[in-house]
Amino acid sequence: MFISLKRVLKTFWQGILRNKSLFFACVLMMTLSLLIFTATLIFRGVSFKLIEALKSKMDLILYFEKDMPEEDILKIREELLANPLISEINYISQEEALAIFKERNKTNPTLQKVLEELGENPLSASLTIRAKDSKNYQEIVNYIENSSFKDKLININLAENQKIIERINKFTKAFQLISFSVIIILVIISIIITFNTIRMAIHSLRQEIEIMQLVGASFWFIRGPFLIQGAFQGLISSVLALLILVPTILWLGPKIENFAPEIALSLYFWSNFGYIVIIQTCFGLFLGLISSFWAINKYLKI
Amino acid sequence: MSLVYFKNISKSYNGNLILDNISFVIEPGEFVSLVGRSGVGKTTILRLLIREEKPTKGRIFFEDKDISKFSPREVFILRRKIGMIFQDFKLLENKDAFENIAFAMEVSGYSEESIYRDVPELLKLVGLEKRANNFPYQLSAGEKQRLVIARVLAQRPELILADEPTGNLDPINKWEIIKLLSKINELGTAIILATHDKEIVNTLNKRVISLENGKIVRDEKEGKYII
Repeated sequence: MFISLKRVLKTFWQGILRNKSLFFACVLMMTLSLLIFTATLIFRGVSFKLIEALKSKMDLILYFEKDMPEEDILKIREELLANPLISEINYISQEEALAIFKERNKTNPTLQKVLEELGENPLSASLTIRAKDSKNYQEIVNYIENSSFKDKLININLAENQKIIERINKFTKAFQLISFSVIIILVIISIIITFNTIRMAIHSLRQEIEIMQLVGASFWFIRGPFLIQGAFQGLISSVLALLILVPTILWLGPKIENFAPEIALSLYFWSNFGYIVIIQTCFGLFLGLISSFWAINKYLKI
Repeated sequence: MSLVYFKNISKSYNGNLILDNISFVIEPGEFVSLVGRSGVGKTTILRLLIREEKPTKGRIFFEDKDISKFSPREVFILRRKIGMIFQDFKLLENKDAFENIAFAMEVSGYSEESIYRDVPELLKLVGLEKRANNFPYQLSAGEKQRLVIARVLAQRPELILADEPTGNLDPINKWEIIKLLSKINELGTAIILATHDKEIVNTLNKRVISLENGKIVRDEKEGKYII
């Protein structure tokens, strides 16, 4: 058993040394396949993070009547916090609302003048509600509309956000489906590329395989070195793909983030680096092994 | 116990009958020449013997065992017991002379010690001791065929099948190979030589099985090439 393994490993190593160009052609094609695979994986991950970021910006604001005491609003806040659909509620008093308004419009002298002329704070206190899931906003609105404090509200601003939320939810569903389909298609393409490259490499050695069978080599004795070679190619390709990916992300990440800060490419890549390395390496090993197994089996016959 | 028994063997390819109900027995240590024109079925007989092909009809026995019933593992073992010599050599191009012989020993499960002991001796036996590190493309046709014989001997076979082994060789190398095969036969290994070289068959003066139109037309103990 140990001797057979040693001989299989020796044949595998000889195979690489004596067919270097074939070996490197396979590694290059596999690296390309892995780059396609990992780039798709990163794109999907970053896109989901982006959607999550957009969703987390969605909120529901309840504007209360101006004469509503702060204690009552805080009680309503406590009541609402007990709702399992709600994750967070921020209270903004009339004074805070005015300060925010002034800060936002400090470059607009007309608005500043209007405020001065009014002489009093025209803004209401409000509660900004964040749902645990963007799908739940309509349910929260229904809950509020049936609540005891409904009459104390001036306005619920969901209507303007609702369309955006619905669009995002629809887009998320469609994106999940499309990105999954794209991943499947790209995975199939990368399998076909790798399979054909390895098949061509093994095809060029078909006479050797035939001779090995004629001298009585068992299928596993013949297959072993090719399988190990396939797995080794997968491993080397994964390392090469990483050596291409890391500088690309280092260069591209900040450029994209300058243009669109929500697309946290570098953050996603580095926080999922271990996962990306493991998935990519496993996929490389799988590609190499399965392609070699299929290709070699074509020539093993009794 | 006979070494080989072909019992009523027929073989056809796409409806073309190549072998038509042939039967013969080969005893251990025999030297048999299979003669006949090209395409008469000599190579098919050899391919059937190593289970590269299966007969359309009939049964083939090796050491009294029906080889059509062999599992893949038994086929591998059968091929280690039957050495094949081909006109086109069939050497492993990515391995040097030493490694070509060593590979055959490795698949038969020989230890590293016996490989390093036997391979140089086999190379010496066939006159290739100085060519151990040469790859097949660096060898002449005669040297390649001698290397094939060394590879076959490395597995210590009970039977050697030689399919037109001198077809690609000049007269000097041709007779060297025939002498080598005769010597191996004298040491007890059975040989089936498929050839259409009249001179070789008549010089050997051994058993001759003559084929014509897929049938055995003559089987003589000390035969001549008569077609």
